Amino acid sequence: MPSTKKSVVSRSSAGQAVFDTIAREKRFRNPPADKTAFPALNEAVRPHVDSWNAVFREGGCLHQAIADIGERTVFDRLDGNAETGYGNKLTVRIANYYLGKSMLSSRDKTAMKREIYPAECRERHSSYRGQLQLELQYKVNNGDWQKEYRDCGLLPLMVMGNRCHLESMSPRSLVDHKEESEEIGGYFIVSGNEKLVRMLIVNRRNYAMAVIRSSYAKRGPSYTNMGVQIRCVRPDQSCMTNVIHYLSDGNITFRFSWRKREYLVPVMMILKALVDTNDREIYEGIVGLDQREDTFLTDRVELLLRTYKAYNLYSRHETLAYLGDKFRIVMQVSPDVSDVEVGKLFLKRIVLVYLNDDGDKQRQLLFMIKKLYSLVAGTCAADNVDAAQHHEVLLGGFLYGQILKEKFEEYLLNIRSQVRSDLMGGAKVEFGSPQYIRKMLGKVNERIGESLHYFLSTGNLSSPSGLDLQQTTGFTVVAEKLNFYRYISHFRMVHRGSFFAQLKTTTVRKLLPESWGFLCPVHTPDGSPCGLLNHLAHKCRIATITSDTSQVGPLVLTLGVHSAKVLPVPTDATLSVQLDGRILGWCSPRDARRVAESLRFYKVSGTHNVPLDLEIGYVPTSNGGQYPGVYLFSQEARMIRPVKYLPLDKEDFVGPFEQPFLNIAVTDPEIKSGDSHVEFDPTNILSIVANMTPFSDFNQSPRNMYQCQMGKQTMGTPGTAIRHRTDNKMYRLQTGQSPVVRAPLYNTYGLDNFPNGMNAVVAVIAYTGYDMDDAMIINKSAHERGFGYGTVYKTEKYDLAEKSKSKSPVLAFGWGWAAIGADAAALAKYKAMKDKYSETLDDMDGLPMVGQKIVEGQPVAVYHNMGTGETFFFKYKGSEDAYIEEVRLLGNDVGDSICQAISVKFRITRSPLIGDKFSSRHGQKGVCSQKWPAVDMPFSESGIQPDVIINPHAFPSRMTIGMFVESMAGKAGTLHGFAQDSTPFKFGEQHTAFDYFGEQLKSAGYNYYGNEPMYSGITGQEFHADIYLGVVYYQRLRHMVNDKYQVRSTGPVDSRTRQPVKGRKRMGGLRIGEMERDSLLAHGTAFLVQDRLLNCSDYHQTWVCRGCGSFLSTTPTAAGERRAEVRCRRCANKATEFDIGKKGYWEDGLGNRFIGGEDTTVVVIPYVLKYLDVELLAMGIQMKYDVSP
Amino acid sequence: MDGFDMMDSGTEGPTVTIRKADSTRADFVLSNVDLAFANSIRRIILAEVPTLAIDLVEVINNSSVLPDELLSHRLGLVPLESSNIDEKMLYTRDCDCDGYCERCSVVLTLVAKCTGDRNVTVYARDLAVAAGAQLGSPVITDEAQKGSIICKLRKGQELNLKCIAKKGIAKEHAKWQPCAAVAFEYDPHNKLKHVDYWYETDAKAEWPKSANAGWEEPPQENEPFDYNAVPTKFYVDVETVGSLQPDEILRQGIKYLQEKLATVIAGVQKTAGEGAAAAAGADVGGMDDGYGGARSPDMGDANGYGRNFNDGYVTPYGGAGGAGAGAQTPFGGYGGGGYSNGGWP
Repeated sequence: MPSTKKSVVSRSSAGQAVFDTIAREKRFRNPPADKTAFPALNEAVRPHVDSWNAVFREGGCLHQAIADIGERTVFDRLDGNAETGYGNKLTVRIANYYLGKSMLSSRDKTAMKREIYPAECRERHSSYRGQLQLELQYKVNNGDWQKEYRDCGLLPLMVMGNRCHLESMSPRSLVDHKEESEEIGGYFIVSGNEKLVRMLIVNRRNYAMAVIRSSYAKRGPSYTNMGVQIRCVRPDQSCMTNVIHYLSDGNITFRFSWRKREYLVPVMMILKALVDTNDREIYEGIVGLDQREDTFLTDRVELLLRTYKAYNLYSRHETLAYLGDKFRIVMQVSPDVSDVEVGKLFLKRIVLVYLNDDGDKQRQLLFMIKKLYSLVAGTCAADNVDAAQHHEVLLGGFLYGQILKEKFEEYLLNIRSQVRSDLMGGAKVEFGSPQYIRKMLGKVNERIGESLHYFLSTGNLSSPSGLDLQQTTGFTVVAEKLNFYRYISHFRMVHRGSFFAQLKTTTVRKLLPESWGFLCPVHTPDGSPCGLLNHLAHKCRIATITSDTSQVGPLVLTLGVHSAKVLPVPTDATLSVQLDGRILGWCSPRDARRVAESLRFYKVSGTHNVPLDLEIGYVPTSNGGQYPGVYLFSQEARMIRPVKYLPLDKEDFVGPFEQPFLNIAVTDPEIKSGDSHVEFDPTNILSIVANMTPFSDFNQSPRNMYQCQMGKQTMGTPGTAIRHRTDNKMYRLQTGQSPVVRAPLYNTYGLDNFPNGMNAVVAVIAYTGYDMDDAMIINKSAHERGFGYGTVYKTEKYDLAEKSKSKSPVLAFGWGWAAIGADAAALAKYKAMKDKYSETLDDMDGLPMVGQKIVEGQPVAVYHNMGTGETFFFKYKGSEDAYIEEVRLLGNDVGDSICQAISVKFRITRSPLIGDKFSSRHGQKGVCSQKWPAVDMPFSESGIQPDVIINPHAFPSRMTIGMFVESMAGKAGTLHGFAQDSTPFKFGEQHTAFDYFGEQLKSAGYNYYGNEPMYSGITGQEFHADIYLGVVYYQRLRHMVNDKYQVRSTGPVDSRTRQPVKGRKRMGGLRIGEMERDSLLAHGTAFLVQDRLLNCSDYHQTWVCRGCGSFLSTTPTAAGERRAEVRCRRCANKATEFDIGKKGYWEDGLGNRFIGGEDTTVVVIPYVLKYLDVELLAMGIQMKYDVSP
Repeated sequence: MDGFDMMDSGTEGPTVTIRKADSTRADFVLSNVDLAFANSIRRIILAEVPTLAIDLVEVINNSSVLPDELLSHRLGLVPLESSNIDEKMLYTRDCDCDGYCERCSVVLTLVAKCTGDRNVTVYARDLAVAAGAQLGSPVITDEAQKGSIICKLRKGQELNLKCIAKKGIAKEHAKWQPCAAVAFEYDPHNKLKHVDYWYETDAKAEWPKSANAGWEEPPQENEPFDYNAVPTKFYVDVETVGSLQPDEILRQGIKYLQEKLATVIAGVQKTAGEGAAAAAGADVGGMDDGYGGARSPDMGDANGYGRNFNDGYVTPYGGAGGAGAGAQTPFGGYGGGGYSNGGWP
């Protein structure tokens, strides 16, 4: 063979897959004091952090929002009208806001260090918040503006955002502040939990989309299913969707929704209100010079113009006044504003809100009408609303800013309603007096911070406008630190919206080619959120600022585009050139191509002030395809990704809108003429987690999906600052290792800081039968040496404040006392109690001792009533034995109260048990079925015994060849002592993985294909077949029998039916359902059926009357001279005087005497039958049972 | 000795050819024995030769980052010097004492504290054997004479442990295992055709020659297959963890094998003497004999052997256990209990 051992080694170490143990150790001991060693991690959360910064920076979205909110006015007369005047006018506005860092309350007078760091919030189960202050300005009539600073509560802050203490801290100082050395932020800390606002897919902003939707036809009579929709986003990121609808008669109406109500306006009315215009201009705006012969279009435009005549509104002024009159109430404007002004406000607030210039608005509206008529005529196709091309991402920070804007607006409205309610309540309203203003403001709800806190902790959006979103819940998720894969995935997760989860169609879930490179095709869960919950490809970024495009407008005009403002445009200038939804001009299809190509060249070369992230969507003319034009996008929330631009051999950023019209080669050899770009790396399309599956290109694709799921359920290393965390439940693998087989990206993302599994020697062999059906056998000795050993940490908060209703503390931790003057017995009892529990509790303070073992029902902490001295306990509720890991005493926020809460972290040891779940990194999960003694395990010639045995039947149907390759690669890597590069798409037909690793194995003296002869551990005989033996990285999954096993013989029952309850927590049973019953019946196991369904369920003995067949008429007799018996009241007759003398009469409890009804007996029934009887009786239905013999 | 010789020598006794031997390894060829015997030796030296290992840890103070059970587990796996253990120590269960005493245990103490600014690393050498103990010092083979790392301490952290090492066997827990791996091979040329080599194109090119192949004649072309042949020559390589010398491991192994065989013979003779009725009874006493020989100290709780068999659903092997015990291997499975190693294997 050509390859020697040395050459094999050097060949691999040339790659980037290295262990880097020494460097890692050094970095771990001395975290860098300058910058992070893993910038890729910070890159991963940038959408979150940057969007927050974009909102809260100086001049950011929130400042723009404040400007956009404007002023609100209120008068001190309720009955004012135009004749009498309205009284004094109070105008209020928010001039500015101030958001502080997280600091101690000013009520705390003693503390020296006043910063509150995130770690403290986590440990104290509190929230990481900063003071929000508004600079409120008001003026009376036309007086001067007066200032008033109002505290609006504590606003939750994003960790690592620009209000966070940790921003731009070096890893070393992060460690000093009890954080991970690679803390990435991007989340909020709410009641000790890390919460993040998840990214949502929304429609692309400022782009008119042609939509065919059956629900459009339901808007009213003659509405069709066609429309053009545009989601308009203001610079402050608040948005408003406008739709124009096509009516079957050719007319068009404009639809919008305002405070969750929909309104429809003839589109002509808006066109006329926007600018002073005439019918001819509108006609020419819609019908291009080349379309004059197009009767389909001209007929409809004519009709559009003609039907509008009915309104008799001719000038812009008249139209505005008409609109203002109609929408005055809806818009909640002040009564002294004229109708025309209201009309203008309407246009500003509702129509194409992202544009400031009314001329631009009119041109865009005309363009939308053109597009709609083209859609109706069939000359263009509807845009696919499910494709990434028409999507952008609603980022957490922006949503947060939008909510805040709305709360600010609401605050101003609340001031107005407070004044009005003062007026109605007859209170003295004096705008001139600052005392009144302050008193009035004091009554207004100013708790804006709390409402955002509510939003983060519940994920529920309570908004009057709905923020133009399709859902009101589920906006936030807890960033679970189960392991690092799961944690980082939260920040890369994009959801399509819970509205789509209810849709029955699967079209929204489909993987569309437009998503290539932006959303990972592998990393989506299976089951109900499949295809709706996606993850960003690891190189995908999201723009969070608007690039400077001031030069782009003039530039395109020099490239042969005719300005939109100069009419008429030439005949061949049929394609519009738009920048962020503003029509720059018109050009011919040929010029359009040139414009697009020149712009791209300029932007990549960095000349002409064209920003690099400008998206140049050139949609060429086609036969019934997407509506053509040049669409430039430069704004926020767009997904962008790097690819190499071939003409300049430089990095270009492309977005999903332009990508379908670009030719991007995947690899260098694939470049064909006409290709403009090439991918930097084919793995760029995969998410971070999907990239960690070794040799994923060898696997059947669903297996890679499963691995993405299981990687996130692995018991791994959640972090290194576990000491400073108080997560409710945390899993930790104590014996994690660095995988031998890994992609270089593993190092890039610093995942060695968070090991997720163990390298195991795996034999693929059917041995002992305990490896059937996806079970796996673990070597008992490997287990005893610590293979897969894990720990679960649970944190419990014990709060005394919740126990007492009083405001000042009544209870305190520690032992109580026996009452003064108590007798000897009471004292002895008190002493006995103390002795009994002092073993588990520190007898001085009544708090648990660290390291102490604790079992179910044992007291964790002692507290007492400070008045009576009575002692109480907090008991440990978990069913598993635990050890006290940490105890924290939690003071209140201000530090002026005695300790009222403690937080106890429990450590639960979870040694691998039979029934625990393990998996390789290839979607091959299995349950441990035995811990097999090492001597009985098969062994190789060199005496190596596998740690894990799996069954060969796990492979043929699942085709996880990647696992075989990993096994070989891992074996070769351990033999030679180097890490193996497992990046997918590295091998090919000419250069196969098996040859590559085969050579390595061969040079180490092993079989080329990874097989080895093995011997039975029991007999010592060599197996007839050679065995595939290698090293595979195994993960221990968090699903463990100890959390799942369910046993019951007898136990709690439902009080109504007396059948066993369900649920593991309540000691319930497992239901034998109808189908299970059927199969038992089919087996003829009648006794088993009876046992399950009767004896072990609601077995019941009851009296029944054989005569009338009723359960319910039986009644016990009063014991007189005879024994008490059960008789049927229904079959009995009232005893007459005559009967009394006879022997057979009986008496009920009330002394009534009866005769007869003796024919009763006891039967066994399921209790529910009796219950059914009663229910039916309530409906007037009687059941009669024939009892025999 | 060559292959021809061996085939002819039905009457010759077992032969051992030592190829290489030092304090941690013994590489030898075992000839003129049958497979069952060779494998028995392998199994016994892997699982049933007693050594000394830390079994109980009394934690007086542990403020290190490692939890008690983790620390105890690490300590358990430290190899301790155990030569001639049978002459020096008893199993705790065979001892008259309550708990443990110097006849059945060795006490090691570990006291370490970090007072300076530099972190302190605690090594196996820091385990102090009680004065007068005949064995039990930690095995240290590295050049710096430190032994394996147990724990690292930061400023102010402290360890104060009393470790009780006991005699036991690897069948009970891997920490008592005297050897790391036992290489075992026979028939390197596959003349017996026990294994059917899988190959893609060419078995010769894909399958490397065994290192032991030079010790046997390669098969001749067209050599007739001897279907009566059995393996008689075994290439064994014993690698120790350091607690025992390889020769002692082997000698002990043979001793325990003899002992086990003697128990079987005694059992057979006993039952033969008592007649068929008693044989059918196969009482618990008989079973107990089967256990005989090497055994670990009793764990002293419900998961060990010392359990009460009367509570139903319990096999004499200690199968289905109480809550949390889970199923177990025929050899008792995971310890579960112990003093402070809660849940650790």
